[in-house]
Amino acid sequence: MSFLAPLFFLALAGLAIPVLLHLTQREKKQIVHFPSLMFVRRIPYQSVRRRKIHNWLLLFVRLAALALIILAFARPLIQRDDAAPIGAGSREVVVLLDNSYSMGFGDHWQRATAAARDQFAKMSASDRATLVLFSSGADIQMRSTSEKARFNAVLDTVKPGDAATRYSPALKVAGSIVAESTLPRREVVIISDFQRGGWRGEEGARLPQGVTLTPVAIQGAADKANLSVTGLSLARSMFSNQERLTVTAVVTNRTERSVSGSNIALETAGLPVANKPLNVEPGGSASVTFEPVTISSRNFKGTVRLADDALNADNSFNFVVSPSEPVRLTIVDRGNTDLYLTRALSIGEAPRFEAVSRQADAVSDEDLRRSTVVVLNDVDVSTGLARRLAKYVEQGGGLFVATGPRAKWPQDVDLLPATIGNPVDRTRGDAARIGSLEYGHPVFAPFRAPRSGDFSSVPVYGYRSLTAAKNAQVLARFDAGAPAVVERRTGSGRVLIWGSTLDVTWSDLPQRPMFLPFVHRAIRHLAGYTEPQPWVTVGQVLDASVAPRGASTQRVVLTPSGRRVPIEDEGSDVVELSEKGFYELRGDAANMNHTVVAVNVDPAEADLTPIDAKEIVAAATGGSAGGDGSQPNGIPLTPEAREKNQRLWWYLLIGGILLLGVDTLVSNRMAKT
Amino acid sequence: MAEAHVIPGARFMDPVVLARIGNLELVSRAVADGFINGLHKAPYFGASVDFAEHRGYVPGDDIRRMDWRLWARTDRYYIKEYEAETNMNFSVLMDVSKSMDYGSRGITKFEYARILTACLTNLVHHQRDRVGFVAFDDAVVEHVPPSAKHMETVLHVLDRLKPGRPGHLKGPLHKLAEHFGRRGVLVVISDFYDEPEAILDAVSPLRFRGNDLIVFHVLDPTELEFGFTDAQPFEDLESGEQMPVVPDAFREEYRSLVRAHIDALTKSFASVRVDYTVLDTSKPLDHALYRYLGSRAKMMKVR
Repeated sequence: MSFLAPLFFLALAGLAIPVLLHLTQREKKQIVHFPSLMFVRRIPYQSVRRRKIHNWLLLFVRLAALALIILAFARPLIQRDDAAPIGAGSREVVVLLDNSYSMGFGDHWQRATAAARDQFAKMSASDRATLVLFSSGADIQMRSTSEKARFNAVLDTVKPGDAATRYSPALKVAGSIVAESTLPRREVVIISDFQRGGWRGEEGARLPQGVTLTPVAIQGAADKANLSVTGLSLARSMFSNQERLTVTAVVTNRTERSVSGSNIALETAGLPVANKPLNVEPGGSASVTFEPVTISSRNFKGTVRLADDALNADNSFNFVVSPSEPVRLTIVDRGNTDLYLTRALSIGEAPRFEAVSRQADAVSDEDLRRSTVVVLNDVDVSTGLARRLAKYVEQGGGLFVATGPRAKWPQDVDLLPATIGNPVDRTRGDAARIGSLEYGHPVFAPFRAPRSGDFSSVPVYGYRSLTAAKNAQVLARFDAGAPAVVERRTGSGRVLIWGSTLDVTWSDLPQRPMFLPFVHRAIRHLAGYTEPQPWVTVGQVLDASVAPRGASTQRVVLTPSGRRVPIEDEGSDVVELSEKGFYELRGDAANMNHTVVAVNVDPAEADLTPIDAKEIVAAATGGSAGGDGSQPNGIPLTPEAREKNQRLWWYLLIGGILLLGVDTLVSNRMAKT
Repeated sequence: MAEAHVIPGARFMDPVVLARIGNLELVSRAVADGFINGLHKAPYFGASVDFAEHRGYVPGDDIRRMDWRLWARTDRYYIKEYEAETNMNFSVLMDVSKSMDYGSRGITKFEYARILTACLTNLVHHQRDRVGFVAFDDAVVEHVPPSAKHMETVLHVLDRLKPGRPGHLKGPLHKLAEHFGRRGVLVVISDFYDEPEAILDAVSPLRFRGNDLIVFHVLDPTELEFGFTDAQPFEDLESGEQMPVVPDAFREEYRSLVRAHIDALTKSFASVRVDYTVLDTSKPLDHALYRYLGSRAKMMKVR
């Protein structure tokens, strides 16, 4: 028998209280006032009776009651050999081995694999073990087997990856493995550096009842220096008609040791182009700006690299840039009426806009081919042009239609998102205002925040009444409820119609600050323009649909380690990025116009600040990390058996209370007699 | 109780009930009237208003007391003198020391003594005797000189009295012995916590001028029986001294000591012809009154 709260035995000292009470009780009684002690004083009497205990029964009852209550509070725990373990002694052990890149710090990985080997070495012949490597996800390396040699062989081959630590997926995998196990003893061992960044107190990472979770912390060597590149700033500029890139790297030192005399290098296309000295204080950061480099080609690869230190995985940072591509558009108007529009488009930098103006009857196929967006600025469109534009939009082009007094569209070509009706004159009385906007749409999203442009302040003196088509979306309405901006997807392209003019004949909009962002956002949206991402982080996924499609060849993804991952046309076009470096999406072998994606490690993983492993254990096991719930031989008990072993305190408490009742009865009776 | 019915027809009341009434005049009248009704054939009653003798007139005498018939016969002025003028003085000397303030049965010795004094005073007043009162502890606390008009004063003084200080018989009683110059009846009421010799020494001088002395020894039943059960510390009311007492072990010894004390006092007082009576505060007052009347009868016979 053992006790869960043995400190309560200190209260046994309280047993002296009834004895003292018995001995001193009579002296504490009230003083009797007597007229004179003249006669009493004459009586020779040696008082020894009060030093004796008179009520032995009462004393015994009180002592026993107190002792029982103290025993009950000490929570006796019976550890019986027959205490109903779930089965025999065979174990199901799941070893969760952290292979995030932070495990490459110093000798952490060697110690982690040694700890895993220890776990396998302790296995008996009937035990089964599973090895799970985890970082941002969990990967079962070997499942539920007793062959120790195979474990060691696997441990010889595995290495830390490039992903960040996440404990929750690993615990969920371990939970599912032990839940399926039929063996009586189920244990999960988690070997990790227990970084605080990997635990967010996730719900759901809960192991089944009776499973013990043992953390093995691999920590220490905090005195070693470790620098990491946590981010880059890329600034483009034009020089001699060539685009140049200025790279600024941010380097952080998260250790307690300063780094001086180190260096940082910039590599482009695999060759070093610049090298700079680097000094960083403990817990500090530094930024290093390199000389501008010329972006010589598409998919221009660059890497910022630090000198080797205790953790190398975070020493390099990759990026990919391409020369910026302008958005080309053709403006169809009646000649020299597009002043406001062309001025607005000429201001754009990211992206740049290249616009050509054509009259309606002069739009060539070549114009349509080179343009990603066509703007119809209050023109009468012939049926022929309308049909060509319909085909153009079907193939992915964008069409912006501004409707002034002259705008006309042939009835037989169903392309526009709204039917153009009669002009509405609002020059008399109050001018029309734009009453409601669809702020969730990309075109109007920048105007969502307060003081970001008030469309309702723009007077519109005339507009064409628009009747939205069935599958069109009204993005803005005039105050009378008439559609002002309507959009429709047709084929791969989009058509946007604006119910008034892009000059000042019907509206003051071109003179208002909202005009420029409105036009830019509309053209970018219609062109399907997205900001190019210079890098992504390990663990993110790559949408392979952006890879160029060849006529017949199989599309593949080439990983940094040189693996070729074919992309199934039928299946998902999503590739998980698990390595840092450059991924290449290749289409046609002959077509060198492939896509390159730079992948970097999560800089947050370089922060080795540890979390108390007990926190994870408590969350995963509901607070019981084994210990009191298992027998001396380590066999975990069922909750019923555990409760049964601890139930004795109930009986002791009830016994103590009953004895106190007996004490009351006895003392009452004695008082009466 | 046999003693309660010594005098047939008397309405005797429980002292505890009397103590609750509070108004001493009412109490004393009730007790004395009841007692007197039971004694209506007693030969002493009315003796004090009888004609005694004639004496010659001297200027200044009240002419209303002139015996005109005798003048008619003798042609001399005589004044009638009555027995009333020879009525005795009656004084109660009551111990009001702290030890008297003890009672275990609803009435303290002090209250008992007070009621007893009031009853005796009332009784005496009815008989046209002069009443006086002295309260003492270790000194004289109150003193009302004997007078036929002092009945109300005595009752008033009794009403105000409170026991408080330790008592000592010798000092005040010796002083009083010199004070009572005229022969009369003196009643001493006390609990007599002192050695018998010392008590006798203190009380005896009161008799020197021919006073008739009645001593009432007032005791609570607990003082007689020592009926305590639990071992407890006892504190002397007067000295404040404490000592642990185990009543079971003390009781017999205590009783025999008290008995010896009373015996010694009985013997001592008998030797000097002093009426000595032990009064138990749980008993009615008739015993004490009867004792007084008996004593007065003896005195009258002596005259």
